Amino acid sequence: VSAVPGAAGAGDIGAVGDVGRFGSGRAVRRIEDAALLRGQGCFTDDVNPPGQLFAAFVRSTVAHGRIAGIDSEAARAMAGVVAVWTGADLAAAGVQPIALAPAFKRPDGRPMTAAPRRALAHEVVHAVGTPVALVVAETRAAARAAADAVVVEVDERPAVVDALAALEPGAPVVWDEAPDNVCAEACYGDASAAAAAFDAAPHRVRLRIVNQRLAPSPMEPRSVLAWMADGRLQMRLSSQMPTAVRGGLAASLGMKPEDIHVVVGDVGGGFGMKTGIYPEDVALGFAARALNRPVKWQAERLEDFLAAVHGRDLVSDAELAFDGDGRVRALRVRSWANVGAAATTTGVVIPLLLGPWVVTGVYDIPLIDLRITAVLTHTNAVGAYRGAGRPEAVFLMERLMNAAARRLGLDPAEVRRRNMVRPEQMPYTNAMAQVYDVGAFEKILDQGLALAEWGGFEDRQAASKARGRLRGRGIATFLEWTGGNALEETVTVDVTADGFIELTSATMPMGQGIATSYAQLAVDVFGVPIDRIRVLQGDTDRANGFGSAGSRSLFTGGSAVSVAAGRSVEHGRELAADALEAAAADIEYRAGRFTVAGTDLGIGLFELAARQPQRRFSVTDKATAGAPSWPNGCHLTEVEIDPATGVVEVVAYASVNDIGRVVSPVIVQGQVEGGAVQGFGQALCEQVVYDRDSGQLLSASFMDYALPHADVFRGFKTAFDTSIPCKTNVLGVKGVGELGTIGATPAVVAAVMDALDRAGHGDAPKRCRCR
Amino acid sequence: MPLVTLQLNGRQAEADVPASTLLVELLRGPLALTGTHVGCDTSQCGACTVLLDGRAVKSCAVLAVQADGRAVTTIEGLAGADGAPHPLQEAFSACHGLQCGFCTPGFVMSAAGLLAAQPQPSEAQIVHALEGNLCRCTGYVNIVRAVQQAAATMAGGAT
Repeated sequence: VSAVPGAAGAGDIGAVGDVGRFGSGRAVRRIEDAALLRGQGCFTDDVNPPGQLFAAFVRSTVAHGRIAGIDSEAARAMAGVVAVWTGADLAAAGVQPIALAPAFKRPDGRPMTAAPRRALAHEVVHAVGTPVALVVAETRAAARAAADAVVVEVDERPAVVDALAALEPGAPVVWDEAPDNVCAEACYGDASAAAAAFDAAPHRVRLRIVNQRLAPSPMEPRSVLAWMADGRLQMRLSSQMPTAVRGGLAASLGMKPEDIHVVVGDVGGGFGMKTGIYPEDVALGFAARALNRPVKWQAERLEDFLAAVHGRDLVSDAELAFDGDGRVRALRVRSWANVGAAATTTGVVIPLLLGPWVVTGVYDIPLIDLRITAVLTHTNAVGAYRGAGRPEAVFLMERLMNAAARRLGLDPAEVRRRNMVRPEQMPYTNAMAQVYDVGAFEKILDQGLALAEWGGFEDRQAASKARGRLRGRGIATFLEWTGGNALEETVTVDVTADGFIELTSATMPMGQGIATSYAQLAVDVFGVPIDRIRVLQGDTDRANGFGSAGSRSLFTGGSAVSVAAGRSVEHGRELAADALEAAAADIEYRAGRFTVAGTDLGIGLFELAARQPQRRFSVTDKATAGAPSWPNGCHLTEVEIDPATGVVEVVAYASVNDIGRVVSPVIVQGQVEGGAVQGFGQALCEQVVYDRDSGQLLSASFMDYALPHADVFRGFKTAFDTSIPCKTNVLGVKGVGELGTIGATPAVVAAVMDALDRAGHGDAPKRCRCR
Repeated sequence: MPLVTLQLNGRQAEADVPASTLLVELLRGPLALTGTHVGCDTSQCGACTVLLDGRAVKSCAVLAVQADGRAVTTIEGLAGADGAPHPLQEAFSACHGLQCGFCTPGFVMSAAGLLAAQPQPSEAQIVHALEGNLCRCTGYVNIVRAVQQAAATMAGGAT
């Protein structure tokens, strides 16, 4: 286990100075911090162009119904109101719903289907919070007041908010093209072979497992500013995927992508929620184009709870067949994913593909039988939330492993150990045909057990008992797929006369510190101080690509930074050869200076740039990872439960994480620990709740939706094994953004169940109060 | 419309605003100080925290007219007159106490209010003082460490 330099206890991270301290692997201060700490960040709502108008949405207050009429006369007459549009107006103007990619089929062979995802609902509303009308006014207050004055008449109809209820005969139908409420279905594996394995198995475990619906809840709610300039639509918004937004706007508004310019400044957290295009984005683009004035919409938190995508919401019946030696012979899972009404492609792909890819995880499971049904309900759309499919799958498998340990009378670590894929099996192809390039899962397990002092638990339990507390421990061993299978990134490196190296990338910052990691990689190549590096992101006129999601940025974009920076130095060598009248082969580069070998003749990197016609030299290059990366870990936690109140307190959390080579040690530690606290949220306190009868959202504010607070837990022991570099990208790095979230939920739930089990409460349901 | 006059970050500032205007709306709008953020609509998240006469308040829960004639310090006013970062700003960077940075001004101002009232807070006092601020990125670990480090710096101790 390698300790983390500059981490827990070290306190301070070096300031700018010695170049050697700022390359990859070093603990550096983030280049993002100075502006953010002085209130000089540039979030979308911080930008206020002259003549700006404000948008407010009228949203459906019922879960399901036919729009009988919308009376906006009073609203239009109010002071400051500039325009009011309804879904009928937008449909008449040719605005198209956001397309659903036919990624899967329904059981009857027809393409997957869902209620149309319109900028404004037309004729029918399918979920509480669906935008129904758009008001634009001179001030935010006027827009809100006028939105309140729009009268929407809806013939309310019965609604269904639960996936299993939606599949029952006679359930309210969400969308006419899916009278059975089935959006799509996917099956994997060999059902008959798995059935034979189950029939022959001496031991089986079977569980109903619920991954409840969550609200991603980045602290900056969604935000959009749209305007026209030079005949092009300009969009500034808080997004992880500017290019996808541009494409979605073009498709819905009937424009060419090149006639749209998407700009993203600071993003106040994404966690998957800010991937892709939203109905409100389309509505704002339409309004700015129609009015030829800047129009801004800043979501209220309520609107984010109602209409920004939710995550998870997967119910599974899952079972494992074991042989007499405690080895898994087969996995069988039947899952139902609640994808909402106006489903997103992402929201279907996550449960139907991404989860299955990793469901066997670090275990060598030869046979699978998976069937996953995406179900339409009268709820908000589900989309990506940190982990996106992997937390659900890993939670399911780890719950099964714990149940198996109890059934087989084995230590939870032992049943895992017996089933792990071994290093000599690498590259290993899992039952979903996913190929792990490297991995030493048992080694990570052993390091985790040591770090957590797993063997000393009984003493700690006795100490807890003496204080009247129940104590339990939980373990999760897991891996995840990263990269979104978008494995190519392009980076432009500009060396400028004013003394900067600019890296331009289509990947996006949203708090993960990717600019700092890129800068460190550039320092490796150029040998200049880190304050000479600038990172430019979030501008579709400069760079386009997949954006940032699925822990992909470092191993794709970082690889491209490294490759393009190397090419930049090579290009500089040729320019320096011309400038110094020497052969390129004789030019050496070191720490910002080209020299003729064996002489005093030389020229500085930036001076060389100043001599070029554009006063800079520019190189664009790309890197393509050969495959996803497979970070993995062993996360162990202990909880105490107050038996009088049921309050659960996390009291220990140790994790060993195999993330390959580390570029920014402080950042990766922050990703794992911050991510783990999000996992605590799923384990202990967070849940999106719709009323089963009315379809009303009951958890629509931070008063009702319980995020972890500062008192949650701070005693992390976090370690990284950097000895197993990824073989499929030039850096050897693996994605790190989601490991904490994926590992924490099963570990904490296991610890709670273990505490209850030890207290004689058996396999109690996981419902406890968050501390 | 009422005229509101503030002693804002050490300088006088004034604006005519509707009586229903919240302090945060005055700051972000007419006074163009966008470092103070709005992250919720129920006074839970604390991203809008500022100092009002030296006490940390959620500026979404204060009317602009209630701040009339009083001293308001925002994140923009925390650095020294020479531009040197406040020990809290320094410590948040040194301890990696921020990721996306949206909640950060609120945490820094809550901590500033705490340290003004209690220069040597215990860890429990820090956690209690930050109870009204939400962060989704960091898990709070490094935020608490940053406040501890800033308190030590301000007390003249080791950094």
